[in-house]
Amino acid sequence: MDNFEKHIRENKALFDEHKADKAKLWANIASGLEDPNPKVVPLWRSPILRVAASIVLLFGITTIIGVSLMNKTDYNTQNNIVSQELLDIDMHYKSLVSYQVQLVKNHPKLSDGDKEEFLLFMDELDKEYELLKLEMKKNLDNELVLEAIIANYKKRIELIENLLHQINDSKLINEDYDGYTL
Amino acid sequence: METNIRFTHKELVERSKSGDRNSQYRLYELYVDAMYNIGIRMLGIKEDAEDIVQESFVDAFRNLGSFKYESTFGSWLKRIVVNKSINHLKLKRIPITSIEDHEFYLKEDVEENVEAIDIKKVKMGLEKLPAGYKQIISLYLIEGYDHLEIGEILEISTSTSKSQYHRAKKKLVEIINTL
Repeated sequence: MDNFEKHIRENKALFDEHKADKAKLWANIASGLEDPNPKVVPLWRSPILRVAASIVLLFGITTIIGVSLMNKTDYNTQNNIVSQELLDIDMHYKSLVSYQVQLVKNHPKLSDGDKEEFLLFMDELDKEYELLKLEMKKNLDNELVLEAIIANYKKRIELIENLLHQINDSKLINEDYDGYTL
Repeated sequence: METNIRFTHKELVERSKSGDRNSQYRLYELYVDAMYNIGIRMLGIKEDAEDIVQESFVDAFRNLGSFKYESTFGSWLKRIVVNKSINHLKLKRIPITSIEDHEFYLKEDVEENVEAIDIKKVKMGLEKLPAGYKQIISLYLIEGYDHLEIGEILEISTSTSKSQYHRAKKKLVEIINTL
């Protein structure tokens, strides 16, 4: 920077020789600041609100997916537990029923007609059991269905036991009768 | 120290940001004459300078939220006035740096015996300069911008700013020497 430049820069305040009409200018500035139509920025144009909305949306989607996955997991877990319960009951009663049915089938004192009638009755209970099992798959948390399945098995066992008791009782009566005849 | 300068009138600025009209008026009072003089130097016409100063203050107060004390409030406001003045000249199709026509009249060896130069003569010389010369001299010597900033303001390269300034300065000295 040469002397000429330095001289001007050092005295630059002297160049501000004009005075503004402050009142007039301020009147125009004040009216300019009081714009009757203020700039309105729609909410959706605000970057902060956009980001916030995106986060809420993302959070919402994540929650929905998470909840549905957890429900599915719970449902599967519940399903497995109930299925296992049903399997255990099924195993227990099936072996019991099949054993007793076999007893009835092999019983020498029962006629073929009686056996057939009894087995038809058992088949009806089987059908009811199948329906209950289907119901169980649809509505696994319904304990009433499970109770009905057990009741179904118990009914079968009770019927078989009654039948076997009746046969055995008649046998005793016959034996007694024989005794009396002797 | 520089940090302190940047925060000059911080309280007024902050209150003005929240729309306090009294604080805005106090800031206006502090800076209006300086801004008006910049407008006069850049535009040369009182009415144009007034329009630019008014618009600049309205814009400044409306956009004060974007002022982050990276410079002083005065520098920030001055840049608004200068930019608006340049845009005004462009709209009026007044050449900003088109000063080649005057190069034919330039002497290569201008005497710069400045010690005795009266500031009044400099002012007179500035008035006689073509618009493009006057603007670049004002921006560099009086407003205090460097060539990088002048390049940004006038949308020219730094080297163009330097060469135009040197031509303008030679012309100014030549005029002053004739006074």
